[in-house]
Amino acid sequence: MLSMQDLSKTFTTDSVQTHALRDFTLHVNEGEFVAVTGPSGSGKTTFLNIAGLLESFNSGQYILDGHDVSHLTDSQRSKVRNEKIGFIFQNFNLIPDLNLYDNVDVPLRYRGFNGAERKRRIEEGLAQVGLSGRMKHLPSQLSGGQQQRVAIARALAGDPRFILADEPTGNLDSEMAQSVMQLLQAINQQGTTIVMVTHDPALAAQAGRNIFVQDGRVHEEASLC
Amino acid sequence: MLSYYSQLGLRSLRRSPLLSSLMILAIALGISASVSVATVNHLMSSNPIPHKSEQLYYVQLDSWSPFEPAREPNEPPDQITWTDALNLMEASAGLRQSAMASSGAVLEPSDPDQNPFMVSLRLNFSDFFALFDTPFLYGSGWQREDDEQRAYVAVITRAMNDRLFGGENSVGETITLAGKPFRVVGVLDTWQPVPKFYDVTVGAFNTAEDVFIPFYMKQQLELSNGGNTNCWKSPDGEGFEAFLNSECVNYQFWVELPTEGDKAAYINFLNSYVEQQKQLGRFERPLNNRLSNVMQWLENEEVVADDAQIMLYMAFMFLFVCLVNTVGLLLAKFAGKTPEIALRRAVGASRKDIFIQHMIESACIGILGGLLGLLMTLGGLEAIKQLYGDYMQNLVKLDLTMIAFAIILSLLSSLLAGLYPTWRACAVQPASQLKL
Amino acid sequence: MNLSRLEIGPLWRALLRNKVGASLIAIQVAVTMAIVINSLAIVIQRDAMMQRDSGLDEDNTFYITSTGYANDFNAQVSVTDDLSRLREMPGIVNAIQINAIPISGGGWSMSLAKTPGDDVETTNTAVYMVDENALETLDLSLVAGREFTPQEIRWRQPSQPNWPSLTIITEALAKSMFDSANNALGQTVYIGDEEPMTIIGVVDQLQAPWVGWSNLEHSMLSPENMAFTSTRYLVRTQAGQRDRMMLEVEEMLSSSQSGRIIRDTTTLTETRDRSYQQHEAMITLLLTVISALLLITIAGIVGLASFSVQKRQQHIGTKRALGATQIDILRFFLLENMLISGVGIILGTLCTVGLNIALVQWFHVTPLAWYYIPAGALVLIIAGQVAVLAPAKNAASISPAMATRAI
Repeated sequence: MLSMQDLSKTFTTDSVQTHALRDFTLHVNEGEFVAVTGPSGSGKTTFLNIAGLLESFNSGQYILDGHDVSHLTDSQRSKVRNEKIGFIFQNFNLIPDLNLYDNVDVPLRYRGFNGAERKRRIEEGLAQVGLSGRMKHLPSQLSGGQQQRVAIARALAGDPRFILADEPTGNLDSEMAQSVMQLLQAINQQGTTIVMVTHDPALAAQAGRNIFVQDGRVHEEASLC
Repeated sequence: MLSYYSQLGLRSLRRSPLLSSLMILAIALGISASVSVATVNHLMSSNPIPHKSEQLYYVQLDSWSPFEPAREPNEPPDQITWTDALNLMEASAGLRQSAMASSGAVLEPSDPDQNPFMVSLRLNFSDFFALFDTPFLYGSGWQREDDEQRAYVAVITRAMNDRLFGGENSVGETITLAGKPFRVVGVLDTWQPVPKFYDVTVGAFNTAEDVFIPFYMKQQLELSNGGNTNCWKSPDGEGFEAFLNSECVNYQFWVELPTEGDKAAYINFLNSYVEQQKQLGRFERPLNNRLSNVMQWLENEEVVADDAQIMLYMAFMFLFVCLVNTVGLLLAKFAGKTPEIALRRAVGASRKDIFIQHMIESACIGILGGLLGLLMTLGGLEAIKQLYGDYMQNLVKLDLTMIAFAIILSLLSSLLAGLYPTWRACAVQPASQLKL
Repeated sequence: MNLSRLEIGPLWRALLRNKVGASLIAIQVAVTMAIVINSLAIVIQRDAMMQRDSGLDEDNTFYITSTGYANDFNAQVSVTDDLSRLREMPGIVNAIQINAIPISGGGWSMSLAKTPGDDVETTNTAVYMVDENALETLDLSLVAGREFTPQEIRWRQPSQPNWPSLTIITEALAKSMFDSANNALGQTVYIGDEEPMTIIGVVDQLQAPWVGWSNLEHSMLSPENMAFTSTRYLVRTQAGQRDRMMLEVEEMLSSSQSGRIIRDTTTLTETRDRSYQQHEAMITLLLTVISALLLITIAGIVGLASFSVQKRQQHIGTKRALGATQIDILRFFLLENMLISGVGIILGTLCTVGLNIALVQWFHVTPLAWYYIPAGALVLIIAGQVAVLAPAKNAASISPAMATRAI
């Protein structure tokens, strides 16, 4: 599903070179639920940005869903993000002046679906996260957990091959966090691959597979059953 | 997708109402200033008779003093003498031609309840009406023989017909003009060429005359001189005849020459006419005859007022300031949208999508600004009309060309203003760490 | 005050990093300055033009036209009767028949020469045909010489080409031809090449009919009444009586005789307004443009400054946390605006001069006096400071706690 081979990413400022990732290698199979953990500054975020095709990298190879995405143009990457990847952000990243319906609609618009298709998907997505009745609400009228559910609905609406979640429960209290995790697990059960970045070992423990990143490298891999 | 982007654009405008209204207002002000002033300039420089402006020629003959030109540098006088007017008519060397002059007289209505009043007169030959394709509501112009026979015939305007005959067909009726009975042969439909090209001597945007009568009535009724009379020497002898036959210029002459060949032939004719007059002791200056078609003549007489042109420059510079202002505000506005753009990029919007979205947002501002600007233009033109009074009354009509100009100008302006801010918006990287 | 608190160096370097935003304001200031200064110069010139005195008692003067149409209409009798009736009316100071009205736009001009002949240097002047009551009616006073006597007034018939042998001219015309009023007195001038006229008097001021004419102050009086069927009377009334007398005169002339129409009763103030209408309109339009432009520029500065304050909230909070006072923050924004405006004004001076050169070249506008530039610059600096004040105050009120807020 997702295969990274010897990826390297360096940031160059005026005089200092920082290695964010070095010879990063990771393979994720279809249907897996992988948690990526690591301390602050370990390269988690860089990994996430590269995995989500939000950033490019300096060397190595990245194969996503059987296609080499290492050297795509900006607009090709946009298309891959739109069609294959669903994002869930720590801050939910809902657009504040769009209602829930329109927020879920955002990626579908770029997909080029017709109106009826978009409507079906948005309604289905919001139903899946239990927010059917609140389509006309603005994000500010929802609790944090509900906002994250909307973000999940948005990620799912385009039927992505896999979901990238960045500290999806980081801004939620534990009860809400638990319900969001259950939702993610349910989605994973239905066959969607999930890669989740978190610093919380307890959360990571709920994933099928754990990866520990340190100093820009995959440091340790533990399979928990 | 277009409607989606338009929705997004309008929504985005609503999100920061103050900034948006400032931008819309700036565009609207710039547009209304430019379009109001451009309308006046457009009408001042418009072609009053587009279908024949290239075939109608104004005649100038240099009959002026041997010691100085009529106008520097060596320009012939802008009108011709009575003598030359009659000689050119007699020769009839063009397809159609008419000498003409302006005057005024008292009109005594047949209805005893109406008081006598002054009317403005145009003295012209029968060809005048066909020459300028004047529209007739009733009847027609008079016949060629009426000119020679000095027939008491008149063509009146629609407004005059309304005033005298309550709008009824008055052909065949009699009006008393300068104490003489004139038979009405035709009633013009509304006819107000802008500029009033056929005689610009006392104002290129004046209203057309009330009554048209044969040219020879000047002599017959000893009618006063309207417009400008310029003399380089005093008349020889006393009385009206002496004045008519003097070297004073007060007459305009138009000729219709359909082809370049006709024009060349007419120039030859004028030159040989002047050579022949030189034999008689007139035309002491070197040969300097001019034929100007309608637009050349208007250009020559500089009918577009300097003030109008100054205002045009000022207005376009004003629009420029409004645009720079809008660029700055759009930059601020789009910068405030950085997180949203990053999110859209993350969920799959390409740079092109972001580009189109923001250009459309800019266009929304342009269209709203253009519409508001059009409304303000109506106000601006009304203000110009109030400020300038009669002088501008024929010059403040917003036509379709100018409406289209306003919309296109505002759209182009806003797209131009939006270009750099949009380019910056497109440079926003997709990101996972956002602060919306 | 500690000069080091004025962060000119760092501020300038920061501006260079945000070139676009700063340039936009600077360009706006520059073009605004060019338009404002040039427009204002035109406004002031036009206003000065409109302040020129016609020489008449404008507030108490009007004129009226009589046009005879009956076949038996006798112009000479009519004019004599009308004038004697007018002069008898209480409320009227004096009245004359006149061929043209000063500053009205329509009239007669002739050329005068110091020697006879057709190839000599001539001076153009407006001609007013008037009788011995002209000086009182037109509110003229003699600078030298004398008035016309009743015996010197002749009748001019329609199309009569020759001229009387005497004339009174304005001081401006006297100076232009003979250097002074006294030199002009008694001199002979030749009108229309060869006819001699002797200057018997010089009056202070009387403007020609054409307000745009370069010889506006050149006028001469010719002693004659006109036996024309259509003629004008100029009437000077006692102070405050004008409007009443207009109605009475119109009534009197209309009823005194049939076979003519009495029309176009017009005050001289209306005439002035109409003659200067285009200039008045231009002044209004330019002042509108100036105000709108200043407003737009100020609004633009407010908009951009507010945005920049918002964007720099944390940066400002941090400064405050590190010890900057509210005044320091306020001063920072005022100073920043001052620097940007300064660049705008340097650029604007070039634009102003450029635009002025273009206007002088193409439209014969009078060149700009130098002091308009510093004056305009000052106005724009003040406008900028006023504009940035509110956003700067907002910035100053940002809490130092902003510094610890997560980005």
